[in-house]
Amino acid sequence: MNQIAVKEAPRSLKIRILRHNPHDPGSSPHLQTFELEEAESMTLFIALNEIRQTMDPSLQFDFVCRAGICGSCGMIINGRPGLACRTLTRNLPECITLAPLPAFELIGDLSVNTGKWMRGMSEHLETWVHQRDQDKADIDRLEERMEPDLAEKIYELERCIECGCCIAACGTARMREDFVGAVGLNQITRFRLDPRDERSDADFYSLVGDESGVFGCMTLLGCEDYCPKDLPLAAQIAFLRRRMAATGS
Amino acid sequence: MPKALSAWPARIDLLQSLSGLLLVLFIWAHMFFESSILLGEDAMYQVSRMFEGEPLFGKPYPLLVSAVGITVFVLVAVHAILALRKFPSSSRQYRQLHRHMGAIRHPDTALWYAQVITGFCLFFLVPTHLYTVITQPENIGPYASSDRVWSERFWIVYALLLLTVHVHAAIGVYRLAMKWYAPSGVNATRNRARLKLAMWCILGFFIVLGTASLLTYMRIGYQHADRAGERYVPAALHTEDS
Amino acid sequence: MQIIYTDVLVVGAGLAGQRAAIGAKRRGHDTIVLSLVPAKRSHSAAAQGGMQASLGNCLGASGDNEDIHFADTVRGSDWGADQEVVRMFTHTAPKGIRELAAWGVPWNRVQRGKHEITVDGKKQTVEESDAAHGLITSRNFGGTRKWRACFVSDGTGHAMLYTMSNQAIAAGIPVHERMEALALIHEGERCCGAIVRNLQSGELLAYVAKATCIATGGYGRIYRVSTNAVINEGMGAAIALETGIASLGNMEAIQFHPTAIVPAGILVTEGCRGDGGLLLDGAGHRFMPDYEPQKMELASRDVVSRRMEQHIAAGHGVQGRFGEHLWLDIRLLGKAHIERNLREVKEICHYFLGIDPVNDLIPVRPAQHYSMGGVRTDHRGQSPQLRGLFAAGESACWDIHGFNRLGGNSVAETVVAGMIVGDSMADFCDSQEGALQISTALVEEFGRRERQRLVAISSGTGGENAFELTRLMQDTMTASVGIFRHGERLREAVDTLQGLQRRAANITLRSSAPGANPELVAAYRLKRMLKLAQCTAFGALQRTESRGAHYRADYPQRNDREWLRRTLASWPDADATLPTLEYEALDIMGMELPPGWRGYGDRDYIAHPDTERRQHEIDAVLAGLGETADRYRRQQALMPFEHLLPTHLRKRNQRVGDEL
Repeated sequence: MNQIAVKEAPRSLKIRILRHNPHDPGSSPHLQTFELEEAESMTLFIALNEIRQTMDPSLQFDFVCRAGICGSCGMIINGRPGLACRTLTRNLPECITLAPLPAFELIGDLSVNTGKWMRGMSEHLETWVHQRDQDKADIDRLEERMEPDLAEKIYELERCIECGCCIAACGTARMREDFVGAVGLNQITRFRLDPRDERSDADFYSLVGDESGVFGCMTLLGCEDYCPKDLPLAAQIAFLRRRMAATGS
Repeated sequence: MPKALSAWPARIDLLQSLSGLLLVLFIWAHMFFESSILLGEDAMYQVSRMFEGEPLFGKPYPLLVSAVGITVFVLVAVHAILALRKFPSSSRQYRQLHRHMGAIRHPDTALWYAQVITGFCLFFLVPTHLYTVITQPENIGPYASSDRVWSERFWIVYALLLLTVHVHAAIGVYRLAMKWYAPSGVNATRNRARLKLAMWCILGFFIVLGTASLLTYMRIGYQHADRAGERYVPAALHTEDS
Repeated sequence: MQIIYTDVLVVGAGLAGQRAAIGAKRRGHDTIVLSLVPAKRSHSAAAQGGMQASLGNCLGASGDNEDIHFADTVRGSDWGADQEVVRMFTHTAPKGIRELAAWGVPWNRVQRGKHEITVDGKKQTVEESDAAHGLITSRNFGGTRKWRACFVSDGTGHAMLYTMSNQAIAAGIPVHERMEALALIHEGERCCGAIVRNLQSGELLAYVAKATCIATGGYGRIYRVSTNAVINEGMGAAIALETGIASLGNMEAIQFHPTAIVPAGILVTEGCRGDGGLLLDGAGHRFMPDYEPQKMELASRDVVSRRMEQHIAAGHGVQGRFGEHLWLDIRLLGKAHIERNLREVKEICHYFLGIDPVNDLIPVRPAQHYSMGGVRTDHRGQSPQLRGLFAAGESACWDIHGFNRLGGNSVAETVVAGMIVGDSMADFCDSQEGALQISTALVEEFGRRERQRLVAISSGTGGENAFELTRLMQDTMTASVGIFRHGERLREAVDTLQGLQRRAANITLRSSAPGANPELVAAYRLKRMLKLAQCTAFGALQRTESRGAHYRADYPQRNDREWLRRTLASWPDADATLPTLEYEALDIMGMELPPGWRGYGDRDYIAHPDTERRQHEIDAVLAGLGETADRYRRQQALMPFEHLLPTHLRKRNQRVGDEL
């Protein structure tokens, strides 16, 4: 670990937050600047809580796990989507601008309704294992075998935390509200890979074979470049596009 | 109930990519033939005769060039119409997109936007060029072309065309690769960076090649300005004549 | 006030809540789930290392079965667990994991052939059999005799929660997100739903239900340093407590996880040590074998955490910028293993510490991690005092963990309890008892009471600051009700908390923002958290022994003679500043495994007179069965439990080589 020999004077951070409370008829979107002293190992989670606790108790934001696992705290940090909880202020300039993730319904200040969007996406794309005979599995008997490599490949795609960064980073999603985005397309590839899911490519085509699905993607690659979990989104979408193009044409 | 399957979204997506790919291959080939002028006026003469079918039929048929021109025009039209679907189509979409790009400053989104802009320019430039090709197919040759470039001031169109078409094509090929075969696996990032580097190299190469050719046509046109309209006679024929 | 009617109301959308909801829904009952956050963001997602289930597939697990899982769990609990419930749990865990496997969890699988593993700091080569290839594999965890923690890399909870949530979506179960239950509606001793606050608009509404299930997770956030998510404030347990009727069990039983990174307090999985990682002190010395020669780094969490703090107190810690800590060394596992099976750990180290655990040591220190205590339930998950109120998962004291939970038993509990409680809620709804007669006047009355409370807080003029008081509570708990507890310090903590309770009545809000108003949320939650903190501190003060994670420096022995009892805390007088404590004896004469030494930790304890009697009885029963009786018959003879399970969960579990 780096030992800092000379202790430098802490920076004074200027955090500009795009604020708006839709439940307050008198509120309109505006930027508000808060100044606070940077602490060692300070994350935006710590900084925002300090602002709320000592400066403005009405400030709204979402954190849950504060460990980069749950995907609650996606926001726009200096123009780019990212997870606030694991963003260290020392990696940012003194002036930090925070805004809510666009493309989602605003709840207030930095809090947006990603949950509603994601649930809608899940319902629309039916993101669960489909088995004709749901109760076929006999839980008293040995589980179905699966190749270890395949299980790991599925997990690789399962790592998505539905934080919404790919949607916020996507020019297509910004223009088309019905676009399911990388998060949705990735889930389709995840279930397509899973032998427990009995759906055929034609079934998947009926879910994503249009402009709101895989053919809507314009390969702007914001998803790939801003995914906090470094999921192989571009490769997955390309793969899905090939499969769906072959299925459709 | 799954919704009714329509094959059109898949077909249209393929067609857009395929038409783009064909156009890119065409324009790159075009560049090599056009730059034959760098090897001398004779070389360019041979190439232009070749495209008029002389080696095949014994005499030149400029209509063949018109036919190619029309084919390209159709391809361009198809490609443009399909691509237009993806352009921001309302002021709301346009605003959203600009806010997004302004904030995120994401290189690949900017690349796409460069294609939108160049595509828009090509919308006007390509028909201008193709119009002359289709209507005056016989006017392609070391002197005829150079006269058009210089004496008829077409170098302005060609310079703009050169820049826009190659930016559009090089980015297009990179994006096509990412769209259908984005690198995967442990070296995905490295391979994408290499793809991008290849894109810049190809773009640089064709800009240099095209600029050199254009300058050559301009030089010939300049030198030939007082005799503008005169057709080129290959050196071999000159020798026989004298 | 809007009133929503449903058969089953589940408060909390983590693994336990959603599994219970699926169970009830499949039995044909309308089910609604309430959640503070989107379901997939629940804290279950943060479980990293694994889920215990005795599948016995891989080499390290071979020979594993329910009996060994049972014994490990009871020993881990320091005999505080309800042994019948532990039996129900260990019997159902393999079914739970197999159900999830069928539903889509990509469990890591056994790969046939030779593998290199790290054991006791050294590399070994083992060979997995063809017979096990492709079955669910497992890793080693603390306090277990077999490799039993089934895993999905180190994102086990995430993968489980996503699969569970997707199944709930498939079943069409509505999850009302950003909804907080403020109070349980009850008519005498019958629970009939909850008053709920919309955390977007601030509106109050009522949910009236035949059966209500608390599945809100733990209350770790009453501590300053905790691995818990910020939503783990124990509100489900608190509203049960505030009925004045339902009781909370063993609230003083708080687990501290050995490896939380310093200073963020974020968990790195026990899988690090399970896979062969070591704990080192300031001098780079591996100290755990000095204290625990048998299990070393893989003793139970309470023991390892205590040894770590003991070692730091002895002056062997590392003096870091954020106070003292120790090192977790997983470098010896190698890059390939870390990037495959510990990738979340690698990511956390990268983002929060700026280090790469492939090359660097990880600074760790124990931090609050789990609440063994919670809403006391019977074996089918219902509150014995408040009918119609159920609880599942960490928020419950169903009691498989007693005074210390084994790693990997928590996600296993969520799933198993969800399966069982979902079914018992359905049974309850189907029964005569489930019929609900409630007047809307009563519902309105509960709603009015909650509204008045909120208004009282909003218009308070006493000048106290909710955030400030929360911090003081958390500091008190971490400083005085931590790993090492002492009567005097506990007494001080109880006094401090009482003072904070009085001050909390004088909160003044600085913000009157319309909508949810985060400051108002902090204020009303603080009042409830203080009650939970008081149950914990006061319970710890009264328990003059050391058991599992509850360690009294002034009473260092486990005292079965006087304290083999479960603490039950209730809060009948809303204005009181202390809970009413009662104790429920654990009957040794009914135990399958009478108290003894755990196999790690301190050996001396004060035995209960019944222990010896019961042991003789067991010996006699087993001798009477003869040599030929199989393990099922022997178990059956000692402590039958299958009749307690829903009928469809009673069958035996097949393992490799078993005929069913």
